[in-house]
Amino acid sequence: MNLRSVFSRAVHLLLAGAPAMALPVGAQEYQVNLEANRLVRFVSQTTLDEFEGVTDQVDGYVLLDSERLSQDTGRGHTELYFEVDLGSLETGIGLRNRHMRANYLETDRYPYAVYSGELKGVSVTETGFSVTARGTLSIHGIDRPAEVPCRVSPVQDGYRVTCAFQVLLSDYDIEIPKVMFLKLANDIDLDVDFMVRPAGGSE
Amino acid sequence: MTATARTAVLGTCILFTAATPLAGQDEPVRWQRRTAATQSPVTVFHSTQTANLPTAETIERGELEIEISHRFLPTLSDGSGALWGLDGPVFNRLGLSVGFTDRLMVGLVRSNLDDNLDLNAKVRVGEGRAGAVSFMLGLAGGIALNTGVEAFEGLEDNETQAWALGIVNVLLGDGVALGVLPGYLYNPRLADIVPEHNLSVGLAGQVYLSDLTSLFGEWNLSRERADLEHQAGAFGFELETGGHFFKILLTNTVRLNPSQYLGGTPFEFGTDQWRLGFNVTRLLHL
Repeated sequence: MNLRSVFSRAVHLLLAGAPAMALPVGAQEYQVNLEANRLVRFVSQTTLDEFEGVTDQVDGYVLLDSERLSQDTGRGHTELYFEVDLGSLETGIGLRNRHMRANYLETDRYPYAVYSGELKGVSVTETGFSVTARGTLSIHGIDRPAEVPCRVSPVQDGYRVTCAFQVLLSDYDIEIPKVMFLKLANDIDLDVDFMVRPAGGSE
Repeated sequence: MTATARTAVLGTCILFTAATPLAGQDEPVRWQRRTAATQSPVTVFHSTQTANLPTAETIERGELEIEISHRFLPTLSDGSGALWGLDGPVFNRLGLSVGFTDRLMVGLVRSNLDDNLDLNAKVRVGEGRAGAVSFMLGLAGGIALNTGVEAFEGLEDNETQAWALGIVNVLLGDGVALGVLPGYLYNPRLADIVPEHNLSVGLAGQVYLSDLTSLFGEWNLSRERADLEHQAGAFGFELETGGHFFKILLTNTVRLNPSQYLGGTPFEFGTDQWRLGFNVTRLLHL
């Protein structure tokens, strides 16, 4: 091995490792606080029936390009990743839970709904911040771009995050049987509410 | 590797090490999944009963199960003149069950045959998986009061019945559920002044054709006795939705409650004795 190839390999290794290792100065990772209340709720509303499903099994992180959230956040590199354990959704009726898991969401094959992306647009409000996330929502093995508006309010050393948005089951290849179409809506309202705190804090 | 090459590699490493602090206190994202995904619970039979025999499945804590079932007395073979039995008369059963825990349900069901009022309970004892086979075990039992038999002399003291069933359910693959139910019935025949004891074995099967549809059948092996000469059987079709089970069936018995069904039937299981029936159950949350 000559000097050039050795140096080339070393530089290559250095550069390959750099993106994963080097984050902007002052970047701060926040993780979902598993000790605090968490809620993910969906509501299906049709003329014949309305029901909701809830779970507290949401986890993930957000990486800010600053130590704290501000209106300047998002100008640098940010990341966010959240996942919901779909098998834990509870609708209040066991049979409906089973149908949801086995027939619609197929949770044995696709156990998580995942949202990953970055922060775009942070504005200051009276109670905290209004934040827009831009990324990809993955449900039932299908990835779709999704822009999610959230309210973020400071809580102790972290933040409370509440988001509300809508998904279409048809966008995610979730088929509603004809016998069920009057009882299960295609457009599902989603509410998410959880807290994040700095990574490495007391857990 | 030559000395020059080693020097180059070492220099690169030093450069890398020295450059890291310049990028700040940077480190990769530390988050890792902290909890495992929820596993789907074991399911064998989807419904809490086939036609008459209970399954080991229970409703969940806080759930209500409301049941309306009919058995038409005229036979299917009576033809269009009796609207294949739908003209009636009909025996019916109304029931309400409550899930006290995810494993214990308590029900009160009434059949208008002898005004049989049955207070019962069912416990899901256990469940598991072994390869492609899932199983579920349960126990069920109840006490029945027959207030409609008072017109018969001497029967005032013999209107109480009791029953118990062990329930073994097995699911083969994704779509074939089987059940075996050893049972005991106290006082199967109300016309007897001295109560008898009846042992039985129930057999149940269900083939799931799709997410929502299935075919089922059941048979109850019981001892022959006067007025209950034959063993009861049923087969039919089931449709399930998110909160309902609809069953339509053919059977040789109109005796709907467990203390009636387990003892046998006066009708032979033949095409000329088949009777139409249906069960509708609705699940609600308190």
